[in-house]
Amino acid sequence: MKSGWRQAQIGIFLAAIAVPPLVQTGIEVASGRTPQVLSLLRIRPSEANLRAFERELEEASWLAGPVRRAVQDAWWRGFGYAGDQVAAGRDGWLFYRQDVRYLVEPAGGDPPRDAWRAILDFRDQLAARGIALLVCPAPSKASIYPERLTRHAPRKVVSPTLDTLRRLREAGVETMDWFRLFQDARQRRSGEPHYLRLDTHWTAETARLAAEATGRRVLELGWLPGGMVDYHLRPVHVSRSGDLARMLGWEHPAVGLGRETVACHQVVRSDTGERYQDDPASPVLVLGDSFLQVFQADEPLAAGWIAQLARVLRRPVTSLVRNGGGATLVRQELSRRPALLTGKRVVIWEFAERDLRFGMEGWQRVTLPPAGPLPSAPIP
Amino acid sequence: MVFTSHVFLFYYLPLVLLIYYLLPRGRNAFLTAASYVFYGWWEPWFVLLMLASTILDFVCGGIIGNPASSPARRKSALLAAICGDLGLLAFFKYYTFTAENLNRLAGVFGMNALPALEVVLPIGISFYTFESLSYTIDVYRGTAKPARTFSDISCFVSLFPHLVAGPIVRYNVLAEQIARRDHTWEKFSYGVALFMAGFAKKILLANPMGAVADEIFGAASPRALEAWFGVTAYAFQIYFDFSGYSDMAIGLGRMFGFLIPINFASPYRSESITEFWRRWHISLSTWLRDYLYIPLGGNRRGSRRTYLNLALVMLLGGLWHGANWTFVAWGAYHGALLAFERWMGKTSAYWFLPLWGRRGVTFLLVLFSWVLFRAPDFAHAQRFFASLFGLGGDPNAGLLAGLVYSPYTLAVFALSAWFAFQKTEIYEWLDELTWPKAAVLAPAFAAAVAVMWTQAFNPFLYYQF
Repeated sequence: MKSGWRQAQIGIFLAAIAVPPLVQTGIEVASGRTPQVLSLLRIRPSEANLRAFERELEEASWLAGPVRRAVQDAWWRGFGYAGDQVAAGRDGWLFYRQDVRYLVEPAGGDPPRDAWRAILDFRDQLAARGIALLVCPAPSKASIYPERLTRHAPRKVVSPTLDTLRRLREAGVETMDWFRLFQDARQRRSGEPHYLRLDTHWTAETARLAAEATGRRVLELGWLPGGMVDYHLRPVHVSRSGDLARMLGWEHPAVGLGRETVACHQVVRSDTGERYQDDPASPVLVLGDSFLQVFQADEPLAAGWIAQLARVLRRPVTSLVRNGGGATLVRQELSRRPALLTGKRVVIWEFAERDLRFGMEGWQRVTLPPAGPLPSAPIP
Repeated sequence: MVFTSHVFLFYYLPLVLLIYYLLPRGRNAFLTAASYVFYGWWEPWFVLLMLASTILDFVCGGIIGNPASSPARRKSALLAAICGDLGLLAFFKYYTFTAENLNRLAGVFGMNALPALEVVLPIGISFYTFESLSYTIDVYRGTAKPARTFSDISCFVSLFPHLVAGPIVRYNVLAEQIARRDHTWEKFSYGVALFMAGFAKKILLANPMGAVADEIFGAASPRALEAWFGVTAYAFQIYFDFSGYSDMAIGLGRMFGFLIPINFASPYRSESITEFWRRWHISLSTWLRDYLYIPLGGNRRGSRRTYLNLALVMLLGGLWHGANWTFVAWGAYHGALLAFERWMGKTSAYWFLPLWGRRGVTFLLVLFSWVLFRAPDFAHAQRFFASLFGLGGDPNAGLLAGLVYSPYTLAVFALSAWFAFQKTEIYEWLDELTWPKAAVLAPAFAAAVAVMWTQAFNPFLYYQF
């Protein structure tokens, strides 16, 4: 290569690395903002601050965002690759990678030790207040539909959660086995799948199935009598963008993959015609994560697991839900709001099965504030 | 700081290049300061450690190189430098490992040997410790002159292109260049091309292969097909990650006028383990040869001693990579193979096979060693070996296929295999930079930058060593 061409090559490289930050600074100055890069001068130089600075610098880049989206789009269209968090399954199904890792990675203890201790400790603290606990791990999509991920999948996945459930039962903890429930339902019903194609969560009908079984179990256990509120179901359809699709930035309808239509049944009070609503005075407290949130707190509202449970119990319940925080965050929130336990007889605790290993904030022991006198008043 | 990051590529590098070339003098001092910023970007207090090590070596090197120093004084200064450098390395890298093992042993007798401390490993400490050691030893041996100024030696130790993951450069290689080096268009242009190539290797090949390897090594007990796919992906990851880093280091060095020696020479084309170690991490193997193997007697004290020396050097080489018994086993495995090949007359046990067979068996032996290198502990390595031979027992293992096979990962795997077995390393290919080559390189670099923005923080594998 001749000297002049070498200079041109160097010039192009230097322009490639120097122009983006100059344009960035120009954009920021033109919009009356202090250039992002100068924030470096204001921060204390620590590892955490420097990493955060790097992240923010990249996030704010006029070039990085659009290019990132274009690359992800090209990956998907050209190679069927869905990125670091999502795995593309068969027939357009998406899976959350962490859900699958939970099933294939070695179990951290048998059952995971921290989770085990935290659950027993929580059960004991509630028992001291005269409150019964029902533990309900929600199966992941990969546990129920392994063949939708890959044709190499086993016909039936053996989730490590099943062993945890068995051991919890042996330790005297009441549990719900939604795995068998869904698998049996799959065998009986060949129509609509139990999980959403583009989402980590179950369908509204599966939420109903799980809630009905759970409600019946609570009643069978005699922890509380059935209530006196009548609800009925109102069929609705919603168009929903899956959380997995959203992770990939595929909400745009042009992609043709980002939304799916879901049949739901909204729970409506028969006497007033109002949609289901929680009642803080209920003897039932529900703790959980986004599995309880879908169709309940988002569209179409009052058609999720919580409302369906209330319909079976014939009484509204109190709920405390933290997305992604079924393991620890929701208990921490409860310890900050102990009034939620007032008058409670039953706590139903749901968490995604992957949280047994990957729970946000781990599985911390959470101490509830000291209990008042045990409830003695009759349940309404 | 990581070469393959937004902040390095679009802020640090252009700024440092600009100031460097605008400065009429004091360029070494500026490079040193810039290198300290580069290093401190990871964790600011790390620079104090590097500074302390550099001061120690400067002082000791001065004493050793002083003609007025008595032999005893020179020896004491050498010992002080070696103890100081190795002491820092031993504490920061091996304290926890030593304490765990000693306490386990002492626990048998109901005792506790060492208190458990949370020691943070400063990145690159193994690299700059070896470089610092080479300085004082070379000065002691008379193969290098002591540094003229503190700026010279601190520039040598901290020079950011090779600071955290090599190549391990010796003082006598850089001393002259620190004093005087020329800056030419040709050098700069080659440096740019090599940097771009290394960048593309890391982002487009090493990282995707690393993601595959992580999934498969993370599994409890993969099926045989995935296990082979995983260990081969890891072999590609570690090669492209480390050789990509070396290419970038050499390229950046050229941009600043330095000639940094090569580190890889198509290692996966080796026909024996002996040849593999002549082609893999060359700067480490030559360092170990010159500063450990030869002082131990090399091959001059009979064949038994030669085998012992080889095994010992590789054992320590393994331990250099990390404070874990798996690294020791990895070193012992290679040491045993090297000793065996020495016994065979510097040839492999499969010398009679055709060329592709010799290469294939060598690659296979290297793959087995990568299992030990990658596994976090022996139990994991044992499970993985069982998986390789179809003895994995996890009923859910088939699910892993859904995570690791996609047209994208298979395409990158095929591309990696093609590159990994090429006769010509990228730095040789770029020796003669032509427009068609530039036309290949530029889109690869552009694609790598674009993909970089989709990847989370992605430090190099060898940062941890």
